[in-house]
Amino acid sequence: MIGDEGITPALPDGPSPREAGRAGRIAKAIRSDRQLLIPVAVLVLILLFAFLVPTFWPESPSKQDLISALQPPSGSHPMGTDQLGRDVLARVSEGARISLVVALLVTLGGAVVGGVIGLFAGTLGGAPDGIAMRVMDAILAFPPLILAMAVTVGLGVGLSTAALGIALVSVPWYARLLRSEALRIRSLPFVEAAHAMGATKSRIIARHVVPHCMPVLAIQMAAAFGYAILALAGLSFIGLGAQVPTPEWGAMITEGQQFTLTGQWWIAIFPGFFLLITVTATSMVADCIRDILDPRGSYARI
Amino acid sequence: MARVIVYRILGSIAAVFGASLLAFLIMRALPGDPARVILGPLASPKALVEVRHELGLDKSLFVQYWDYITSFLSGNWGYSYTLNAPVKSLFVERFPATIELALFSFIFTMATAIALALLSTYRRRPVTDGVVRGASYLGFGTPPFFLGVLLLIIFFKSLHWLPGPEGRLGIGAEAPPSATGLYPIDALLAGDLSTFWESIRHLILPSIALGVASFSFIVRLLRANLLEVSREPFLIVARGKGLARWTAFRRHALPNAFLPTLTTAGLVLGEFLAGSVLVERVFDWPGIGSLVYEAIVKQDFAIVQAFVLFSALMFVAVNLIVDLLYAAIDPRVRIPAVTAT
Repeated sequence: MIGDEGITPALPDGPSPREAGRAGRIAKAIRSDRQLLIPVAVLVLILLFAFLVPTFWPESPSKQDLISALQPPSGSHPMGTDQLGRDVLARVSEGARISLVVALLVTLGGAVVGGVIGLFAGTLGGAPDGIAMRVMDAILAFPPLILAMAVTVGLGVGLSTAALGIALVSVPWYARLLRSEALRIRSLPFVEAAHAMGATKSRIIARHVVPHCMPVLAIQMAAAFGYAILALAGLSFIGLGAQVPTPEWGAMITEGQQFTLTGQWWIAIFPGFFLLITVTATSMVADCIRDILDPRGSYARI
Repeated sequence: MARVIVYRILGSIAAVFGASLLAFLIMRALPGDPARVILGPLASPKALVEVRHELGLDKSLFVQYWDYITSFLSGNWGYSYTLNAPVKSLFVERFPATIELALFSFIFTMATAIALALLSTYRRRPVTDGVVRGASYLGFGTPPFFLGVLLLIIFFKSLHWLPGPEGRLGIGAEAPPSATGLYPIDALLAGDLSTFWESIRHLILPSIALGVASFSFIVRLLRANLLEVSREPFLIVARGKGLARWTAFRRHALPNAFLPTLTTAGLVLGEFLAGSVLVERVFDWPGIGSLVYEAIVKQDFAIVQAFVLFSALMFVAVNLIVDLLYAAIDPRVRIPAVTAT
């Protein structure tokens, strides 16, 4: 990989041919690789479920109907109804929208903040690097979920503070990764050449370091996306994330847990099942993306 | 070696210091007024000022941090207003249950992970390997608290094989005479086999739920390491000099593949020992996790605050021990010049 980049001339402008090749490789891999095809298909189905169900499904996720409370799955309520007579299918679909959107925001937020910190720490070096990395060490000194918990308790419980907490926890992952990438790329010959041609530091970062960091960033983001969904559900499960009427998956499992022991399993099982397959599919896709973008790690698939 | 030890210990102290500063800043960012929470909405302004003074909230942030860290170190972890007890004594009371679950789950997790990783790499059958890989993906995507709910539905509600969410022993059952605080060991020491068996039965489901994510992670890591090590030249030499495949595998591949997972194992144990709020809540396990859960519900911030710092301490301490263990086992770590490149 290093030797490979050493002989690739730095292109001044325009998309590099490697970029196009990479996108092509991903598309080809999805078509030809069954191991990737299945989780991608599952994720597409979940996306459709999240965003298409409300367009044709008549039930509302919040309308209570106490007469038809705690009904098992049937034709009119394929996933049954909960203790307040709300349609579980509509709630699980709404929960999917919440989980996917919040996890996306958390992942983007963490990646941008952590990535910028890592890039600057790696390229500037010296005191800024030292300070930034000590702060990252402090964050990493906590079990991740517990720090996210502390943030929500400190700033007031709710979906947005839970998201903030999870994003904060993920910042050091990106910062450390991009710092080491920046250090590695900075010492490559083409960066030296750009420097010799008079390119400024910010130009080198924007033109050369950032594009070369993208693959590892994508790998980390794919993995962090699944973690964000899981952590959000976990925080909501103990009452720190989404609050009661919100049909977040974790909150729904909490509400339904007491009914599982009296036989009404569907209230907790359906959101839990969707949570499970979403995170599993995400982590499988993340793994495949890593294998495609980072062939050095490909021993994991032998 | 001595230098490595000193260096690692100093690093850990710095990490805990940073963590305490972070915890302090996050928890003091509380938009609510702790004095208001304690006294309620009808408190007079004078009383509020008094309680704020009592809690030291009128001092500068720097002084507040100093008070916070010195009182934590001297064992004064605050007072729980909902349970009317010092936070530290609550932690001391609840910690054995958390240790018991953490250790049991850790041993269970590591043993199954090692067995499955071995099975998938040694046998070299695509089917076995596929099943193990699939299980590890699924385990990774399974939220521990949901798995707990699922296990309770299957093994308690439907099959009646294992006890439900009732803590460490059946309701009304008497705890064995305390020697270590861990019920299975205490029961064995007292020669009480039925209590021993009961406590093990109560441990099984929470242990599986707690360990599932770490299990998947360690299986994958170990499997990848085993595959990598098995291509090393020294293994070819070992086979070439006539060692049986299993002997070569056991003596040369396994230890070398296992070493890099030690760090991860340390992270796992540290996280388990900090107490899982989620899993303990599902099983009503009377450890630190459920203490914190109750505190969250009742907005008892003193407990949550102490817990956050406590968890960082456990986490860093276990990692320090693992690092030192690492240096003791693997000579490569002892020479910083080599690892620095």
